Amino acid sequence: MNRRVFIKNTALATVLPYFLGSLASCTVKSGKQKPVFVLIQLIGGNDGLNTLIPLDQYPNLSKARPNILIPENKVLMMNGATATGLHPSMKGVQDLYNNNLVSFIQGVGYENPNYSHFRSSDILLTGSGSAETLYTGWMARYLETQYKHYPEGFPNQTHPDPPAIKIGDTGSFLFEGYKMDMSIVIDAYKSFESPEIEPSGNSADTYAAHEVNSIREILLQTKSYSNVIEKALKNKFSHSKSYPKSGENSLADQLKMVAKLIDSGLETSVYLVDLKGFDTHEDQLDAKDPTKGTHADLLKKVSQAISCFWEDVNQMGREHDVSGMAFSEFGRRIKSNASRGTDHGSTQPILFFGADLAGGIMGKNPVIPDTVLGSDNLALQYDFRSVYGSVLKKWMTAPSTDIKEILKGDFPELKIYKSRS
Amino acid sequence: MRIASSYSLAPINSKLKKDELSHLLGRCLFGVSIKDFEFFKGKDINQCMESLLKRSPAPEMLAQDDPDIIDPLVPRGTQWINAPYESEEIDKKRRFYLKAWWVGQIINRDYSLTEKMTLFWHNHFVTEMDIVKDGRYSYQYVHTLRSHALGNFKNLIREGTTNIAMLVYLNGNSNNKEAPNENYSRELMELFTLGKDPHVRYTEEDVKAAARVLTGWKDDKETLQTNFHPELHDTDDKRFSSFFDHTIIKGRSGASGAIETDELVDVIFCRKETAKYFCRNLYRWLVCAQIDDRVETEIITPLAYILQANNYEVSPVLRTLLSSEHFFDPAFRGCIVKSPVDFWIGASKQFDLAFPAISVENHLCWLHYMFYLGGLSMMIGDPPSVAGWPAFYQAPKFHQWWINSYTLSFRMKIIDSLIAEEGLNCNGPRIKFDFSNFVRQLENPEDPDKLINSSVEFLLAMEISQSDKNRLKAVLLSGQEADHYWTDAWNKFIADPENKENKGVIETRLKEFYRKIINMPEYQIM
Repeated sequence: MNRRVFIKNTALATVLPYFLGSLASCTVKSGKQKPVFVLIQLIGGNDGLNTLIPLDQYPNLSKARPNILIPENKVLMMNGATATGLHPSMKGVQDLYNNNLVSFIQGVGYENPNYSHFRSSDILLTGSGSAETLYTGWMARYLETQYKHYPEGFPNQTHPDPPAIKIGDTGSFLFEGYKMDMSIVIDAYKSFESPEIEPSGNSADTYAAHEVNSIREILLQTKSYSNVIEKALKNKFSHSKSYPKSGENSLADQLKMVAKLIDSGLETSVYLVDLKGFDTHEDQLDAKDPTKGTHADLLKKVSQAISCFWEDVNQMGREHDVSGMAFSEFGRRIKSNASRGTDHGSTQPILFFGADLAGGIMGKNPVIPDTVLGSDNLALQYDFRSVYGSVLKKWMTAPSTDIKEILKGDFPELKIYKSRS
Repeated sequence: MRIASSYSLAPINSKLKKDELSHLLGRCLFGVSIKDFEFFKGKDINQCMESLLKRSPAPEMLAQDDPDIIDPLVPRGTQWINAPYESEEIDKKRRFYLKAWWVGQIINRDYSLTEKMTLFWHNHFVTEMDIVKDGRYSYQYVHTLRSHALGNFKNLIREGTTNIAMLVYLNGNSNNKEAPNENYSRELMELFTLGKDPHVRYTEEDVKAAARVLTGWKDDKETLQTNFHPELHDTDDKRFSSFFDHTIIKGRSGASGAIETDELVDVIFCRKETAKYFCRNLYRWLVCAQIDDRVETEIITPLAYILQANNYEVSPVLRTLLSSEHFFDPAFRGCIVKSPVDFWIGASKQFDLAFPAISVENHLCWLHYMFYLGGLSMMIGDPPSVAGWPAFYQAPKFHQWWINSYTLSFRMKIIDSLIAEEGLNCNGPRIKFDFSNFVRQLENPEDPDKLINSSVEFLLAMEISQSDKNRLKAVLLSGQEADHYWTDAWNKFIADPENKENKGVIETRLKEFYRKIINMPEYQIM
């Protein structure tokens, strides 16, 4: 829905108060702080081949996808990467890459790919194998090692802040813990208000009592974190001037809020934001100008949002504490369809941002065969759980035994980060 | 967890008790007022079903009557649904108009399941209006859903497969023999008919074969019709896997290529998995999200049999399920977390909120309701994805997806606007609850204990503790110890209802009293 219209139309539209006098944001910014990881979910299945473009495959690429080909001379080049380029609308990401602030991992996915949006996003968010079903998020399982028995005993003196924050109006499987959602959900466009809560509970052993108690838990959780969040949202941070106007790029708006929350000094270590619309079965790009159109607009939003956000991170001097990645539920098919679009595929390139990246492009360019069938997919190079494991190990500095438990197995570590010292 | 004690689909034979009738109506009607309840009171289960399953013709779209909408091609007071396409800007307004109108249909529902089932189909057979981007197309989609609401599942899918909005939404209109687009055929199997349980073993090749069957359909923006184009149709034979008993749909050329679409629907509906998948979704919609093995064998399987035996007419299934001992098992009272529609429109219905009589003003209120539903993450017309709202499919949390720190606060906040003195300001018209009128319809409202009991019984799907009741009583009595303070105030009000001061005393306390009830977690379930 169009939120701007919503805000305009509601009598309840409220603007967050910015209290000049409130200097609650005078947090100490010295020394190493707890690492923050920001996940950007690209919903719909991003077309990796038109995002990170294999220049050495152009002859076959142009045969396989003649109607959605990005002209070779428009592809953005990256320092030191002669055979791989970027979609023309990703100027911001190009600059970051050239400064070693962005890196890529090619061919991320899993064995026996599932082409259903829902199943595949569940797999990515819960961190399960293709054939198993898990009911908790992989990040929640990590957070549970940090916030043992959550929500019992939280918040407390040492952990006053929520473990995770989801920007938007719905929760995510990523943060679904064994006992409850480990995140607080904050809408980027509306003010945060703490709910009322009556003290009683219901002990009856019925479905209804179970539902009521779950709702009560959420009320209590929200209430108990509401003070710190309200305070954090009042943080007066001077954002980068490069941000687009509110409402133009929802991802940028969300990341802007994340920047403000990080700067406020919240100890929250994981944030999730998302952007919808990547399911480009049709009219993926403009018929007249192949560098424009739906996919170009989306990638532009991603690129712009990340670079504005990174300017904020720099501004607050937290570039060695903040990192993140952008991922989708799957990539798209090699061969384009007749409607200038692409169907659901398997592997995808994952984008990382941060100042402590090992850098570059991990993995090889995908190989596009001479003849491509409609059902052909890109080869798997890295299991996504290897990516998660490496983030947990090097960025979040989780112990290997925990990681094995969180990911339900051993996955080879990838050198995504330089060691965080 | 206490589970159901009855797994029988046999009809309950006793007269419906008060709480049973509340349960039935609560699940079928999006909020029940005292008047609604009185309409059904005393009816036996068969008579209730007669009302609930009554089919009526789908209403026509109202003429455009919003002074704020300037639509050069549609003069005020005329229809826009067949008017030429103007621009995205105008169309967006048309779509808002359509969504608001839909919300209005729910608010003005009759005593049938029509609206409950129309929304069910919307969630089951999804299109997103903001992706289709043509209000006229989406109007046809909504019309199709509502016409089949209590009709035939198979007919709905057959008609919906070539529905003009669906052709755009899942790219059926660009599916041709040169490059088949499998978007629709995949969702047709995975989400609309067979489902994707591990034992449902259709293959990727089946998805592709089905896509080839469906080649050749195109929408026409001029006539607003769907046409079959034989020159775009794949005339080869389509072979299906062992899951479909190696069925071959023979390739046909010319206009008869369209018949293959009927044959594909036949093939899919021959599978009992299709009937079971539907029955599971319906069960989750009306009874309970959790389906254990026993429910699967003793409820879903026989219902699926009834569905197939009746050639996919849904009424016999609804009748059997909603009359059954199983449905009325006390274990299911309150086991569903209210969706935004159940909560927001439901509360308005329960308290019999008066909407403006003038249609323009009414429309502005509907529009507001629509935006608020969106704010609660249930924008009618625009589910988040082709699978519908996660609350109806995402195990194991299901309806709890509706509730999080943000939506809970927002639910309370919008209710407050209907309680506040100003009322909900819908850019002009204002609406608010009239609690004293509500309370007048209850028995013995002068007795605070009886008022509390009857309110809680009417508004909540579960009992609350005595200490909760004491808290509610403290509100009515403003902290006084003796009951007669309330009784006196009420009697004074009744003796002279026009007296502002008397009414004020009553209203102030009732507002806080009902506000407290609505803010209880118990109010979030049904």
